Amino acid sequence: MDRWLISLKLTMLRHSTPGMRVAGSVIGGALVIVTWAATLNAGSDAARHSVLTLGLLLWGVGTAIGPVLMSGAGTLRPSYFTLLPFGRLALGRGLLVSVYVSIAAGVVLAALLVTGAHAVRLSPVTLVVAIPGAVLTWVLLVALSRLVYGLLGAAMGSRAGVEIASVQFGLMFAGMFAGWIPVQVAIERTPDFLATGITDAVVTRALDLSPTSWTVLAVERAARGDWGGALLLLGGLAVLAAAVIAVTIPLLVPSTEPARRRRGRRRSARLVAGGGLLPATPTGAVVAKEVRQWSRDAWRMIETQSGVWTGVLIGAFALASEELDAVAAFAGLIITFMVGISACTVYGQDGSAVWLDVVGQDEGSVRADVRGRQWGVVLTVLPKILLVSAVFVLLSQAWWAVPILLAAIPALLGAATGAALIVAAVGVSPGVDPRQRVGPNDAVGNISFHVWISMLLMQVAVLPTGGMLLLHLFAPAAWTAPALVVVGIANGVGAAWALGLVTIGYLDKRLPDLFSRIRYGQVFRAGKPRTGWAGALDWFESSTLKGEQQAKELKQKQREAQRAKVKV
Amino acid sequence: MTTTPERPVPEPGGPTAEPGGPAASESALELAGLRRTFGDKVAVDDIDLTVPRGSFFGLVGPNGAGKTTALSMATGLLRPSGGKALVHDIDVWQDPVAAKRILGVLPDGLALPERLTGGELLTYWGRFRGMPAGVVADRIAELMRILELEEAEELGTLVGEYSTGMRKKIGLATALLHTPRLLVLDEPYEAVDPVSARVLTAILRRFTAAGGTIIISSHVMSLVESLCDRVAIIAAGSVLADGTLDEVRAGRSLEDRFVELVGATELGEEDLAWIGG
Repeated sequence: MDRWLISLKLTMLRHSTPGMRVAGSVIGGALVIVTWAATLNAGSDAARHSVLTLGLLLWGVGTAIGPVLMSGAGTLRPSYFTLLPFGRLALGRGLLVSVYVSIAAGVVLAALLVTGAHAVRLSPVTLVVAIPGAVLTWVLLVALSRLVYGLLGAAMGSRAGVEIASVQFGLMFAGMFAGWIPVQVAIERTPDFLATGITDAVVTRALDLSPTSWTVLAVERAARGDWGGALLLLGGLAVLAAAVIAVTIPLLVPSTEPARRRRGRRRSARLVAGGGLLPATPTGAVVAKEVRQWSRDAWRMIETQSGVWTGVLIGAFALASEELDAVAAFAGLIITFMVGISACTVYGQDGSAVWLDVVGQDEGSVRADVRGRQWGVVLTVLPKILLVSAVFVLLSQAWWAVPILLAAIPALLGAATGAALIVAAVGVSPGVDPRQRVGPNDAVGNISFHVWISMLLMQVAVLPTGGMLLLHLFAPAAWTAPALVVVGIANGVGAAWALGLVTIGYLDKRLPDLFSRIRYGQVFRAGKPRTGWAGALDWFESSTLKGEQQAKELKQKQREAQRAKVKV
Repeated sequence: MTTTPERPVPEPGGPTAEPGGPAASESALELAGLRRTFGDKVAVDDIDLTVPRGSFFGLVGPNGAGKTTALSMATGLLRPSGGKALVHDIDVWQDPVAAKRILGVLPDGLALPERLTGGELLTYWGRFRGMPAGVVADRIAELMRILELEEAEELGTLVGEYSTGMRKKIGLATALLHTPRLLVLDEPYEAVDPVSARVLTAILRRFTAAGGTIIISSHVMSLVESLCDRVAIIAAGSVLADGTLDEVRAGRSLEDRFVELVGATELGEEDLAWIGG
């Protein structure tokens, strides 16, 4: 059975896009090279000890949480096998074994074998300790990664699962925008670290306690002639690995216990139908619906939370740097910027709501829908933006940034809600059918074009605030700070109003086309090409549509090529 | 209880030998005091139900009646709070592996590996059940052709891209592949087009004609009436009626009898008066 589980996993991987796997292999390979290079270049045995114990601990943590952050297409979910006549122990063992056959596991093993370099430098004969030790550590870490995944797996689809997926996306975006900051900090501090290692005895002792260090300690004991001590450490590692495996296997098998359901307070029909703080108008109804959607739909929650985590992580990166710590004050502004990107798929995720809009369209309904959605975004994210801004201004002590934030946040948020809505409407990209969703982060679609347009629109829309900011920075006077705030607020309101108005004008005429694109992936419309602003909207509409159709065709071609290869 | 001839025990990958010998019961499925509670809600309330071998059994009930919960417990998907479920005299929760060898199940919301084609899925499922490769290949070709999934297979369509109806069909194929003796199908006709529905009916009839037992759950009374020879009506976690179709109908249509037992919301004169302006 184990063999077929591995084969099944590899087949599933063949049907997934290789992009993430290739990127993961390249990054993993680079980290292995860094680990080996740092070990080989350590200035002394003590420094090498520090490099290894710290490096292997980082590998241990990375391996344990890696699958949670980067769960792959080849993940065999226990629920697939509920109907098959497998014993629970056999299935758990098979699922665990299949985890060891992967590129990621190979990368981890390649890194752990670095202890062999330490052994060669101390006494080559201790390789007989280093290699089994590295393999035992590998067995332990991979099993541990499944244990962590199994424990957190129960949280997937829940609020915790959404946060995990959001941290994953946040890390990705923060890495893209500001990943160079921690890299620079690490490079600056590396030469000293390689020369002397960790000089603090407490830290060294704490690192030695980690099981990832036990092979290093065993090698050192063997090199000193204490083979009994070395064997004891390897034995400890084996016992620990066996214990983790024993705890992990029951977690990998399908659950036959009832799923926990979301329990909320009971709602009366009257409460659902009316009441609340929002005005009893069509716009108020859309706002209420949108605020609930943003806090309940896993996909939407991931989009807002990814933005929040991107801001928080960039802020944290900046705080780690001595020169750039003031940048951390702008973490909230980064979240605001991300709102314009995250909300630009909002119509595509909402096929049923668009259908209701189409069948219930009247003279004011489109306006209510667009304005309600804009307010929904503001009410959902503004409290988070303000909280993160306050925390990071406090941490960075960059008080001078406060007037800039008070101007830039409303300006950018207004521009973001306008840009996102116009892009979501004109370049609508159909989302995943909620019934087809298997995890909180299984979004599909090629929306990079939408993201670029949204970013461009935001930049243009905040030009007045940008101009006033330059004046405030280069010709500061008593009046420029309050003026900047006033201009920022006015700019935000104006941008949201104007871009929203364009969206309303577009959807008033094109609402059935919007639905058609979501439902059928095309627009059934004849007519002459338009010019001017309307022409630009048409161009964006046809470009995004063409992009999606090309992506579909490409996918089909790849699949046919794959099948041809299999037949040959 | 009806008696039907036993089907021969299928070859590798099929069921285990019939336990019990001459003392074995004639039931394909027996639920005894089966109970499931979710917190303080009783979803299935000490159900006793016997499904004779060779029967085509319909389980009907309103939404939330406990049908899916009861079937999940009977097929090893959900652990009962109490009671027993026996499949061909094998206790599903004492020996789930033996029970699953003779069970074919199409559950509600079937989890399948999305990144496989239908053919690949069936090939692996055959391997996992220990069936010989040749037998698996022949059966897959036949099932894909009859269930009209051949074209999707040729195009390399992945299960994740299947329509709801296609997912039902591939789910049914996984349930049939290993020649089970008891098929448990939750809403098998849901989202299936009329042409495919005819094919499905023909397959199911052939299955019972060969001595197999089928349990379907459905909301469509006319469907149950046309297919099943035995019926149970379940509501609020309890069995309200159980027996042959004629016994349960008691001279009326199944729908009338169902409404009589379960109760229905009557539309009063003043209700929804605003409909139609």
